[in-house]
Formats: sequence, structure tokens, C-alpha cells
Amino acid sequence: MFDVVDRVLELAAARGARDVEAYAERGVSRRIKVYQGEVEQLVAARRCGVGVRVFRDGAVGYASTSDLGPEGLDDVVARAVAHAAAADADPFRTLPAPSGPPAAVEPYDPRLAAATDERRIDLALSVEAAALAADPRVKTVEDTVYVDGDGEVYLANSAGVRGSYRAGQCYAYAYVLAEDEGRVETGVSYAVGRALEELDGPACGAEAAARACRLLGARPCPSMKAAVVLDPFVAAAFLGVLSSALTAEAAQKGRSLFAGLEGQAVADPRLTLADDGAHPDGLDSAPFDGEGTPCRRTPLVSAGVLQGFLHDTYTARKAGAESTGNGQRGGYQSPPAVRPTNLLVEGEPVPFGTIVAGVDRGVLVTDAVGVHSGANPISGEFSVGISGVLIEHGRLTTPVREVTLAGDIIGMLKSVRALGDDARWVPAGSVLTPSVLIEGMAIGGT
Amino acid sequence: MPFDTFDLGLARATIARALARGGDFAEVFVEDRDGLALRLEDRRLEQVVGGRERGAGVRLLHDERTYYAYTDALDEASLCAAADAVAAALRDPGASAPVDDLGPVRRDAGLHPVVLPPDQVEVARKAALVHAADDEARAVGHEVAQVIAGYADARQEVLIVNSLGEVVRDTRTRTRLSVQVVARRDAVIQTGHETLGASRGFEVMDEAAVLAAAREAAHKALAMLDARPAPMGAMPVVLANGFGGTLFHEACGHGLEADAVAKGASIYAGMMGELVAAPIVSAFDDGGVPNGWGSQAFDDEGVPTQKTRLIEDGRLAGYLYDRLRARQLGAAPSGNGRRQSFRHVPIPRMTTTYIAPGAATAEEVIAATPKGFYAKSLAGGQVEPASGAFVFGVAEGYLIESGRVTAPLRGATLVGNGIQVLKDIDMIANDYEEKSGVCGKDGQGVPVGTGQATLRVSAMTVGGTG
Repeated sequence: MFDVVDRVLELAAARGARDVEAYAERGVSRRIKVYQGEVEQLVAARRCGVGVRVFRDGAVGYASTSDLGPEGLDDVVARAVAHAAAADADPFRTLPAPSGPPAAVEPYDPRLAAATDERRIDLALSVEAAALAADPRVKTVEDTVYVDGDGEVYLANSAGVRGSYRAGQCYAYAYVLAEDEGRVETGVSYAVGRALEELDGPACGAEAAARACRLLGARPCPSMKAAVVLDPFVAAAFLGVLSSALTAEAAQKGRSLFAGLEGQAVADPRLTLADDGAHPDGLDSAPFDGEGTPCRRTPLVSAGVLQGFLHDTYTARKAGAESTGNGQRGGYQSPPAVRPTNLLVEGEPVPFGTIVAGVDRGVLVTDAVGVHSGANPISGEFSVGISGVLIEHGRLTTPVREVTLAGDIIGMLKSVRALGDDARWVPAGSVLTPSVLIEGMAIGGT
Repeated sequence: MPFDTFDLGLARATIARALARGGDFAEVFVEDRDGLALRLEDRRLEQVVGGRERGAGVRLLHDERTYYAYTDALDEASLCAAADAVAAALRDPGASAPVDDLGPVRRDAGLHPVVLPPDQVEVARKAALVHAADDEARAVGHEVAQVIAGYADARQEVLIVNSLGEVVRDTRTRTRLSVQVVARRDAVIQTGHETLGASRGFEVMDEAAVLAAAREAAHKALAMLDARPAPMGAMPVVLANGFGGTLFHEACGHGLEADAVAKGASIYAGMMGELVAAPIVSAFDDGGVPNGWGSQAFDDEGVPTQKTRLIEDGRLAGYLYDRLRARQLGAAPSGNGRRQSFRHVPIPRMTTTYIAPGAATAEEVIAATPKGFYAKSLAGGQVEPASGAFVFGVAEGYLIESGRVTAPLRGATLVGNGIQVLKDIDMIANDYEEKSGVCGKDGQGVPVGTGQATLRVSAMTVGGTG
């Protein structure tokens, strides 16, 4: 595929575009859904395409195509040049320059390419079977999915950036419905890895079943100010909202609640948060980002103090800083944008049982709905629907649902009181987080 | 271009190849999509992004199983490879369905006319439009701190050919503007959002309508600067027209999609003809609303779209089917088999979904509410079809006191359960309005319309901080 990106640079030069970047990718993927012991859906995919970014006097144009033939490449270059002519100039928008060797991370396990459909199907079936066997109250497993993707990236620009890598990942997922006395509750779980061999299908299925069954009989609880323990799935969902506010793009454009707070306490000292695009186990790890900048670890919050923001080439130039390797691509169809890679929540781990034992009154939150729509990354206010299990006098008691959890992000971060010893990767983005204990939250119920 | 002249013989050969080892239905979905997106922020048009994607998906159905393969290339070798992939994946080879001779090509009958195809409008004109929206929003008040204006258009051409001999060609043109305004007063930051979208060409972008949308977004953000924290607890909720339609979409619509129904994973499964809403509620899904954002002449399986009665006088009257679920449940496909692109398997989806308007005026509904919450604009929501539990963020909310809309309230969420909320609807006004949105399900985003008149729910849980 270097022939494709090189051809794009030549065609652009022929049209008088001097500062040009070409990003090509190709890959294969599989998605298998099973239902009631049978394959319900099998999807085999091949994809390829190229995206072209043209810089002209600070204005940027972008175009992409899946047609890698001569006509397709000529057309995509012409469009990118035309789009640059229509965009407004910004002196900080420049072609990324080479910035050092790629990170030493190998985001690919050759076992991935050796997987057969038989093995993939067997894995998915093992997830569903374990969920159904886990508890007689499991009614059905609405979705049991196995997905893998194996792709190559080729990047080159007219300033000399040039590189390629192969990345692969796979995951299994189960969405379980449990029923008791006519009421239905749901539970999910994931297993993630770089090769099928790393996934524990039965454990994934059993956990999803347990999460659904634990909520059976849930009812609203009274409104209260109380402690909450966010389990890793829920903590990861909140971090997803938080992370958009930790990009320099949001800060520079006045839509981050963290703007101007560098060097100040924004969380309890027990909390440390970092982005690490070169983490050996991270699903979003890569040798370099979508602009060719090496991926690396960037501290965001250390001992409660805001350290800085995530940058791509543009925001770094504007801030007089260095890119942190966070110019991420969603695919060849879109230009790079500042986004987190792997987010890591770190701190002194406290045994989960000890955390619960120390809560007099609160809720273990195992599901939050509407985090995306109910949390505002600009104002920091959030109000979401939650379900989980009541904690009374240090013990998990009855399940709750149809209650709300509301507050503001910084207030919540400052009220963190402990991090659990149960850290795990959650594929909502890519987040490594334990359970998090937070004090004094507003719970809205009856 | 190859698409216009795409060889129907190759399509038929691909279908036959997919059925080589067995299967009872095969289809090829060929797509050519051309789109442009503009994004303005910080007064600058900073993104001008366009793309052309061509590809095909080959689908094989056998009993209740789906085998699907897609490719980004439309040459014979790629289509054969995709057909071979689905044939090879078939778990229990056996008899194949016959491949019928291809019938006449059916096309959009001009239900959604396009006056000004977006690709015939210069990028500079589109750029001027987002700048005008930016200027207009900023002129509303000095506390407007930021404006993010986006414009997008797309032309999607599809060719659908299946083993029943059906051949459908459809062209969908969609154009949309969105304006997000950030207002700031000291440490208080609030946002307002407005959209304008239709299955039409650039003629949607009438200057007066664009400027009105920009002003509306700014007014929402500024109004919320004065907001105090919303209260917590159960209370009467009046949902305004337009964006309020998200309520029905989330609280009920997803539960009526036949994939959830077929798996018994919807609270509406097995309830046909039963009371699921207050008797004043009638609701529809209509894929044929002329030029509607969620409309198209055919669904993505080549089935003509239609108007489906979902709830009649409070009783459940219909589900939304694609071909596969219609077959499983012994019903007729309802034209709701939709997919985001050739990279996706069609699944039952809504088009434009709405609760039919009533007779009262919006003013009468509010005046009849001594104390409650007025949700003028919803930010989006989520539902679990299995339990019916849903949650919405409220973008713009107010207190209702003594039958009047009073103080703005921020940070509110509405939480509830589908059937309960529909049963608790006790007033519906006559100010019907539709809004455009993008609905996500199973990792696929499709354009949907939501419609509603102002209505009242007698009690709903409001989650706030106050």
C-alpha cells in the first residue's frame, strides 16, 4: 500500500499541492453472532481506502475514497485540493513534521490471522452456553457476539513522515436477559484481547448472567445524598465523557471544564489519570498516531492535580507545546482529531470488599444509562439513570433501578475516596480502571 | 462511472454463486455514496471533508441465519470473493433456492424530489451558509462564547438485486445543518443545539430557516445561563413539540422493532391489541413522509416504505419488520429493513416515528398544569427494550408554576418505563413538529425523523441536583 500513498503524493504535487499527507488502510474483519446454540449471523469483511489531507497556507482540505484505481486516486486528490481552497486559514495548521522513532509497541498477535471460523463460532457458543448455565433465571442471551479485526495502516507525507504497522484485536460480548416474577433485568460483559486465545468465553458469559441476575427485583430507592461505588464498566463510561474535556482542542476552544486549571487540584489526591498510546496491552496502542507522531504516555491528572491536555500537531503548535501523539483517526474516511488512546486510572488499590464494608449507606452502580446524553463535557454537569445494588451498613443488600445520579464532574472527582483492586480493561474507547468509591452523591429516587 | 452501468448480469451471477451450497434467499446491495461535510468553530471553517465510497454487500439467508460479506470494490473478482465467502460460511449445506429471472427495475417514483442537487452547488456557497449561521448566533447576545456550525450533504445511490428477481434502484439525497452554541457567564457554561435536515437538496438551506435555527440554538444556550438546578422526584412533565418526539422513539419505538420482538426481548412482545398507552395516544412510523429526513422510497432491502400504524387509541397495532423478522414472525415486511451502508446487515429500524397530534393548544396544556416540569428540548436518550427502562437528557427545561412556564432549570434527566409513560400521557396538543436525528443501534447510525405535538405525562421521574 506504500505504492498508493506515494502515488497520492505524486498526484498532489502535480496539482501544485506542496504539503500533503496520505493515509491508507486495508484490513479484514469477522463478526459472528450466535443465538440459542446456532450461528445467527456471520459477517466477513474486506475494506480498504485512502484519505488525503492537503494544507495550503494554513487551510486544510480532506477527501477520502475506497476506490484505489487511477481514476479514484486522481479524483480524491482533486477534491482534497478543492476543499483546502474552501476552508478558512489558521496559521497553526501545518503539515506534521517527522518527530522521532515510532513507539516500541507491537499491537498485533500473529495468532489472530490463524483463527478459523470454527474456532470463532465455538468461542461465541461458549459465551452463550456459560450465560445460560449460570442461573436458572437467565431467560435468554439476546446478543452474543465475537468480533475480530486485522488491519494495516500506511502513512506518508511530503515532509518525510513515513511508516506503517499492523494492528489486530478481538472481543466477545454478551447481553443477557434474566427474568423473575415477570420483571426483566439485563447484564453485559466483555472479554478483550489481541488473539482469540486470550479470551475467556465462559467467564464472559457467566459474568454477564451474574450482572443481570443481581438486578432482579430492583426497585427505586428513596432520594438521598450517599456514597456510590462505580464498578469498572460504569467508571469507564464516565471517563469517556471526561476524556473529551481533557483534549487541548476542547480547552483551546473554551469547551472544556478543565480549561485554565493546569497545575490546580481537580480531583482527590488519591486519583491519577494518564493516557498511554504505547501501553503493551492497550487495544488502542500503536507505534504512531494518525499524523505519524510516536505514541507515548501522557500524565493527565497526577495525585489530583491537572497536568495538562492531550495534543495533536495543531493544538500543540497553537499552545507552543509538543504533540502527545493523540492525533487519532477513526478510519480513512475522516481526518485526525485529538482523542485519547488508552486511558488509565491509577492509584493505591483497596480491596473491593474493604471498600463496600466501609460504606454505611450508598449504591454499588453496575449500569448507567444516558451517560452520553446526560453528561455535559462542557459544563461538567451530569444526570444519568443508574441501576445497581444498595449498600447498607457495609453490606450489599437489595437491587435498585430507575433512580438518577446527578452532580458535576469536578465535584465528583474531588469526592473520590478509594480505588478498588479490580482494575480491568473496558472497551468503551479503551479504559483500564478499577471500581471507584465516591462520597456524597445526589441519588434521585422516590 | 461503473455504478450507473453496473451489470445486472453480474449481480445475478453473484446471487447464484452465494447460493451455490444452499440457502433460501440471497441478495446483493451495491452502493455509491458521495458526501461533503463542513465544520465551523472559533469563527473558522476548519474542516472541509468529502468522500466517495463504493462497495457491495452480499447476503445469504438460510432459515434464521444470516451470512454477510462486503467489499469496497465493485469488480467481478471482489463480488465473486464476497459470494464465495458467504457460501463457504453456510453451516448446513443443502438445497438452494432458485434464482428467479430478474424483473423490471423499480425506482423512486419521485416522492422526495430534489430541486438543487448538493453536488451542483459550489463549496463556497455552503461555506458562506455556515458563516452566516455563526454570525447570526453570535449576534443574539454577548454571552455567546462559541459557535460550532456543521453542514453535511450526501447522495447515496443503491442497487438492490435479490434471488426473488427483484431489482430496485434508489437515490437518496440528504442535506442537514446543525448549530451548537456555547454561552458563558463567569464560570457558568451552557449549550444550545438546533438542526435543520431533510431528504432534499440544497433548497432546504433557505436562508431565513438557517438563520432562525442559529438564533434558536443561541436562545436556548442563553436561557439556560439563568437556570437553577432542576428538582428531583416524580412530577407532571410537559414535553414540547419537535424534540419531544425523542420520547416516543426511545420509550416505545425501539421496543416495536421486530428483532427485539422476535427474541422476546421487548416489553411489547406478545402484546398486540393490548393497551400499551393512554386511549388518546395513536402513533405511526412513516417512511414516506414527503422529503422527510428519515424517509426513502425503498428500504435497504428494496421493500417500498409505508405508513405503519403502531398504536391505535392506546392499543398496540403494529411492529416494524425487515424481511428476516417478517419471515420469522409470519408477517409482511413493512419497509423498515435499513442499514447504514453496504458494510452493514439490514435490521428493523424506524423511519419517521410520531405520536399523532391532539386537539388542545400547547398553551392549554401548560395552563392545565399547576406545578410541573416543562421539557422544551431533549438532548437525546437511551432505552433498554427488554425492560422498557429509558433515560433522556433535557437540554432546555423550565419549571411550571400555576399553569405558567417560569424559571429555567438545568441538569435534568427524565427517567421512566416505556409503557408506564405512554399510559400516563393525559393531554396532547395540536402543534405537531418534526425534527431530524441520527439513531444508533447495533453500531449502525441511520437518519430518523421524530415527531410530536406538545403533550403532558401526568407523572415522570425527574433527576436533578436541586
